[in-house]
Amino acid sequence: MAQIGVMKMVGKNTRDYSLGLGAYVQVGFPISEADAVTAEIGVNYFFLHGVGSGEGTAMCPLKLGYRYSLNRTGYGFYLEPQAGYNLYGVTSKADENGDMVNLTYHGVVMAAGLGYMFDIGQSPFDVRLRYETVVAHGGSNNMVSLGFTKSIGFRKKDN
Amino acid sequence: MKYLFILLLMAFGFSSCLKQSIADAMLEEKNGPAASMSYKVNGTPVSITIQNADKQDRNNPTLACLKTNFYNLQAVGNFGEFTFNFFTDSLTVGHYLYPTRYGNMFFISNNNVNLFVNSPTDSMSFNVTSYDNGHISGNFTGVLTPLKSAGVVDIYGAPSSVHITEGSFKNVPVFY
Repeated sequence: MAQIGVMKMVGKNTRDYSLGLGAYVQVGFPISEADAVTAEIGVNYFFLHGVGSGEGTAMCPLKLGYRYSLNRTGYGFYLEPQAGYNLYGVTSKADENGDMVNLTYHGVVMAAGLGYMFDIGQSPFDVRLRYETVVAHGGSNNMVSLGFTKSIGFRKKDN
Repeated sequence: MKYLFILLLMAFGFSSCLKQSIADAMLEEKNGPAASMSYKVNGTPVSITIQNADKQDRNNPTLACLKTNFYNLQAVGNFGEFTFNFFTDSLTVGHYLYPTRYGNMFFISNNNVNLFVNSPTDSMSFNVTSYDNGHISGNFTGVLTPLKSAGVVDIYGAPSSVHITEGSFKNVPVFY
């Protein structure tokens, strides 16, 4: 599945971050009609002080998850906890002297999502609300995202 | 599944306890913790925060505690100036009081008005609540008298008319 989404950084001192953009590719391995183990890699980007300032934060999380269909059909609402590793993160911001510094980090990633899977015609779609946190260096970047997914699986899901 | 979510909730609880972003945490690692001081002068708030507190010019810091024959906590900013002397050879966690009987003493310059311990009912009271890794934190209150005009004979305003309340300082570096 490929997903695009809008994100908002939440928590202390995040007021200066504008809405972020996220893009993901997720692969699901069905373990039953209703549930699947998922693997996902994505890129999140947030501008600081608006586009053009050159300041912002980017992260590249790799996560494993478990998609649990609430009505046990594989469609409708589902929950998806995820955990993983931030392959690369960088925050560019001005320091006290006004000089731009690039702070790179990795860190542990945790996420919890609530989604809804449905079909439009023959194509499966997915809308998902997710809370995600990246923890590194004694701090955390916390974000809420709303994503829209189009399945591009190689195997059509059975009804 | 239930246990997965309990585990995740605990993890989110943990991450919520981390009060700063990764970038701020990394800058703190690089520059030392941010130092801050705040208080109210007759209800008007004053605050100062220094992000790279450990990297200040030790001869002319913005907010620091300097060790000489005693310890002098000082802050300088647009608001004016603040100073408090801990008269001790070895600063420790505890209560430090400066009453009038110790002598006339300047403490705060607020909007170009200098405030002193001068009248019998004046005092400045400090509590150092932590002293870790070369940084002190604590709180303070005071009752001061404004200096109206300095001269051969200083003229003071209404005795004990300035109340310093809700004073606090955090992660102030101690420079030797």
